[in-house]
Amino acid sequence: MINSYGSSKGVSRKGGTFARRNLIIALPLIPLIAYLAFFFFWPMVMVVTDSLKNNDHHWSFINFTTITHKPYSTAFKNSILLGALSALFASIPGAIFAYIIEVRGSEKLKGFVTSLSGVLANTGGVPLAFMFIATFGAQGSAIKILKALGIDLYSGGFTLFSFTGIVFVYLYFQIPLMVIIFSPALHSIRNEWRDAAKNLGATPRKFWRTIGVPLLFPSFTASFLLLFASGFAAYATARAMTVGNIALVPLVIGTLVDGNVQVDQANVGKSLAVGMVIVSALAMIPYLIIQRRARRWQQ
Amino acid sequence: MKKSLSIALPSTLAIAALFIFLPFGSSAEFSFRSYSPEGKLMHSFAPYQWILQQPEFMSHLLLSFKLSLIAVAFTAILVVPSVAWLHLKAQSFRSIIEVVTILPLVIPVVALSIGVQAAFPDWLQSTEYELPLMYVILSLPFTFRILDNGLQAIPLKTISEASRGLGANWPKTIIFVIAPVMRSAVAGAFFLTFALSLGEFTLTSLLHWDTFPTWVTSVSQQNIIGAIALSVFSLTVAFVVLLLVGLFSSQTKKRTEVAE
Repeated sequence: MINSYGSSKGVSRKGGTFARRNLIIALPLIPLIAYLAFFFFWPMVMVVTDSLKNNDHHWSFINFTTITHKPYSTAFKNSILLGALSALFASIPGAIFAYIIEVRGSEKLKGFVTSLSGVLANTGGVPLAFMFIATFGAQGSAIKILKALGIDLYSGGFTLFSFTGIVFVYLYFQIPLMVIIFSPALHSIRNEWRDAAKNLGATPRKFWRTIGVPLLFPSFTASFLLLFASGFAAYATARAMTVGNIALVPLVIGTLVDGNVQVDQANVGKSLAVGMVIVSALAMIPYLIIQRRARRWQQ
Repeated sequence: MKKSLSIALPSTLAIAALFIFLPFGSSAEFSFRSYSPEGKLMHSFAPYQWILQQPEFMSHLLLSFKLSLIAVAFTAILVVPSVAWLHLKAQSFRSIIEVVTILPLVIPVVALSIGVQAAFPDWLQSTEYELPLMYVILSLPFTFRILDNGLQAIPLKTISEASRGLGANWPKTIIFVIAPVMRSAVAGAFFLTFALSLGEFTLTSLLHWDTFPTWVTSVSQQNIIGAIALSVFSLTVAFVVLLLVGLFSSQTKKRTEVAE
């Protein structure tokens, strides 16, 4: 950050060729920027403009009025709740786990945990859903073992193919994700600070209340927001696990794209997509800002 | 306090191991299940034999491999030189490129898929090669960061100036100086692109293409044990590939620490 600022200032000081120099420097970056423009920005612009058009291709807010009603409003409520609950149930155990590994684990163990968390956080999707069906489905191994021990979860109304079931499955990639993004923050709490506080007479509790928690709170919030966005937008796992019985925004968009459902408005799917982008951005932008600021003292 | 924590570590690790291996072990058990003609449950290699008998298995697997390799190739010719250039000459553009490349992480893949459907011309949407082009975008937030972090600690500018000062021309500098120092970061970026492309489901299925992951889902509708066996297979592959990524990135870290 500071470097780039400094060097651009250095260039401008050399005289009036600032703009020309910058243009020449930027030239080799044009392929990447053009690629992003065509394969990323253009599709996103199309989503936004199409979402603002009615069936006659005239500008209109009708799609957005439509999605504030059922069943779309329910889908948004469910998806937001799914993101929030899976983030909540993953962030706390994830943070505690990361803390114990950070404080007690050897360097080797820390490295192993990071690699393994990376693997687990990325093994979302379809295989994850089938893995849980094999374990906690009605015929699943864990359910069978529990049954043999006299505990019949399914008689208690438990089912994997429900909202609670999806929250449960999401934890499998959300907790490792929490470990990955929260560990750097824990790592930056220096032992010297702890020792200094102790020398000044602070109890461990006081250290946490006045130093540890205030320091970690921004990173914890940022991690929570990222987890929320990841749970809110996840598609593959939910798609493989549900049979259209739970309304989630990504799944509703999926059925609209497949053309399985007749809708009055052709562009409702696009306004749902814009809705998703807005919710996602509301979580991701603060996440990115907090992470960027936190990185300054985490080095 | 200390004592309770020393019990905390082993018990935490035990819980973590259970958390990871219960679903994995259970699926492995499930994937060997088959039923005798009398309907009795037994274990055999039958589900895996069934997989190998499916002609779609190999064709989809090969297709996924091919598309992932294309995505890696695009990352190689598009992303790697750009990041190297940012570090060599265009430091003033680094922060803006950093922001732009993170955006695909902010936008849900579902929303992007809708956009692709609305925006791309028909000739592009009628070929499966639109997929690797999009996989490059989806992996960009990660590949940019891997390359950027890898290069951050290497004084690329200084060493390339040194090489030029010692009389090497640009092609020589690129081949003998820049390429070798970037090697592990580039390998990490390639592995990540490959793994992400291989497992990509959302965009592929919303654009109505059939690759390995989407085929597994359609298998589940007729043969759930077969689908679970396929999941165990693909997760094992994913584990190996991603652990390699982890290995490479930790190597990068070590190298950069030495460089510092």
